Amino acid sequence: MDPTVVTTAALQSQLPEWTALGPVIVLGLTGLLLLTIDAIWPKRNANTTYAIVSAAGAIIALGITVWYLVAGTGQETHGGAITLFSEAIVVDGMALFFTAIFTSVAALVIVASHDYLKGHENSAEFYSLLMFATTGMALMAVSNSLVTVFVSLEMASLPSYALVGFLKKDRGSVEASLKYFLIGALSSAVFLFGISLIYAVTGSLLLTEISAQFADGGVAGFAGVAGIGVLMIAGGFAYKTASVPFHFWAPEAYEGAPAPVSAFLSSASKAAGFVVAFRVFAEAFMPLLEVTPAIDWALAFAVLAVLTMVVGNFAAATQENVKRMLAYSSIGHAGYALIGLAALTAGGPHNGDVMGAAMAHLLIYGFMNTGAFLFIAMVEYWGVGRTFEDYAGLSQKAPLACVAMAVFMFSLAGLPVFGGFFSKYALFASAVSAGFWWLAAVGAVTSALSLYYYSRVVKAIWIEEPNGNLDVIESKPTGLYAAIIFAAVATVLLLPGFPIALETAEAAASALFA
Amino acid sequence: MSWIAIGALAVVGVGIPLGMMAASALLRPSVPEQGKSATYESGEIPTGTARSFKFNIQYYMVALLFVVFDIETVLVFPWAVIYSDAVEVVGITRALGPMLLFIGILLIGLVWAWRNGAVSWTKSPRATRRKTERGDA
Repeated sequence: MDPTVVTTAALQSQLPEWTALGPVIVLGLTGLLLLTIDAIWPKRNANTTYAIVSAAGAIIALGITVWYLVAGTGQETHGGAITLFSEAIVVDGMALFFTAIFTSVAALVIVASHDYLKGHENSAEFYSLLMFATTGMALMAVSNSLVTVFVSLEMASLPSYALVGFLKKDRGSVEASLKYFLIGALSSAVFLFGISLIYAVTGSLLLTEISAQFADGGVAGFAGVAGIGVLMIAGGFAYKTASVPFHFWAPEAYEGAPAPVSAFLSSASKAAGFVVAFRVFAEAFMPLLEVTPAIDWALAFAVLAVLTMVVGNFAAATQENVKRMLAYSSIGHAGYALIGLAALTAGGPHNGDVMGAAMAHLLIYGFMNTGAFLFIAMVEYWGVGRTFEDYAGLSQKAPLACVAMAVFMFSLAGLPVFGGFFSKYALFASAVSAGFWWLAAVGAVTSALSLYYYSRVVKAIWIEEPNGNLDVIESKPTGLYAAIIFAAVATVLLLPGFPIALETAEAAASALFA
Repeated sequence: MSWIAIGALAVVGVGIPLGMMAASALLRPSVPEQGKSATYESGEIPTGTARSFKFNIQYYMVALLFVVFDIETVLVFPWAVIYSDAVEVVGITRALGPMLLFIGILLIGLVWAWRNGAVSWTKSPRATRRKTERGDA
């Protein structure tokens, strides 16, 4: 008997194989449970109950994910990836790593939303939409076929549109939702067209089979069609990750949406876009780099990465509105993560390192960016204005949260004292060793620029004197406070914990290239 | 070469209607009248403009619920056709279970929408007033 089969059987004998999808199932059931509770008692607006149920769901899903990650489910050490449903679903290290990001961001956002939604009519809808969007994202992480990729992408997008427009009496929120929806619908169509072209060329939708077809040279004669298909699929991912040239929706949507939703979209939704992009390109389109040099998608991503870093950071530097500044900064960070795709080469020895570093950056970014947007949520909750001047002297009213905000800002900028530094360092270092020093150079220069606008926030909240803007502050929202502090603690703890995160990410990424 | 036929078809397809309209514009007498330029509403006299037309948002809710279950029927139909064969092959649990789960998820959504008033028609105060006025007269 084949020895690998024995180990697989022995190690996976404790649980049936479908339990590998446990996190997705828990998230989906939590969403349904919220709807059931609201259907039984529709008149009772139990904001606290819903928050507890959904936070519990997200944390249980996170717990299962971390357990699987530690136990080695679906990873190289324990018999490799687990495929389900005729290979349409694959659970491996990368899927679990990203599911951990989604569920932790979701948990933070839920805890923060409890205060934000106080006195709001339809809080059950908010939490259930959030859970369904997270379910969609977790499903994106495990998709192994272009159909599951598309369906899960829509599953994550549709609740997001509704969440952005959740404040339906607020014109900004509704406008943001409409813009997000229209651009989303357009890019879904482009993405779907791309899928159809790839199917036309390869005759399969499974990523592994597409890869095999391309490696066999099955694309010969159809390189044009395949190239357009790859380009269209890349466009769909550029939309989901808010990268240039499909980034226009992001500042509008993040600014108009309720701030916890902006936190969710800019962290979890962006990471979700990256996980499918990583999987589709690293698994299905990798042979194209080798066999068909004409379809050099890595070069396309390199151009996009440079443009995204430059546009995001320069636009952020000119903003007066803090939330909008953060929106553009999140576009800039999408540019950094794109290096994970741009610095790939055919059979390159550093592919796993580059992509792993991008994954680790997305993990740390998940905490620091969520925290920063939740701080904005707290300021919105108080009713203090939106510009840098309005933030003047906030530290006198909320010193602890302002310490946390300073941590987020410096970490996002990549100062060498917080987690953000190491993730950027690992990313740029791996890009250099893969031979893409110019990507790293653009990244380093734009990071230096980003320090300017991030430190403006810190200067406003810590150094400037309040100008009567803080009189409206009355209460201390406990949930928001707790979520912000927790995100800050995670950002700081990821400084000593970074090697572990990077190692896990690199192992997971390398498994894709094996 | 085979594309020439398609191009010719396109030219003819666009040319014939344009030619017919041009010919009739040259030949027909022009007698403008109000009745001719008014929108045809099956004999009803049209009121208002086409752009200020508003309809109740609740139609949208009903339509949405309808579409969900309409699509569901499309899925259930082929499943029902092969159901008895499928039971013989994979057993009743694997043939019936997934469909029950699917319908169950949809049912939770429907019950939720129902309980939260998605299908209860809001009363329009203006319509009610008009109705009573007509009743009094």
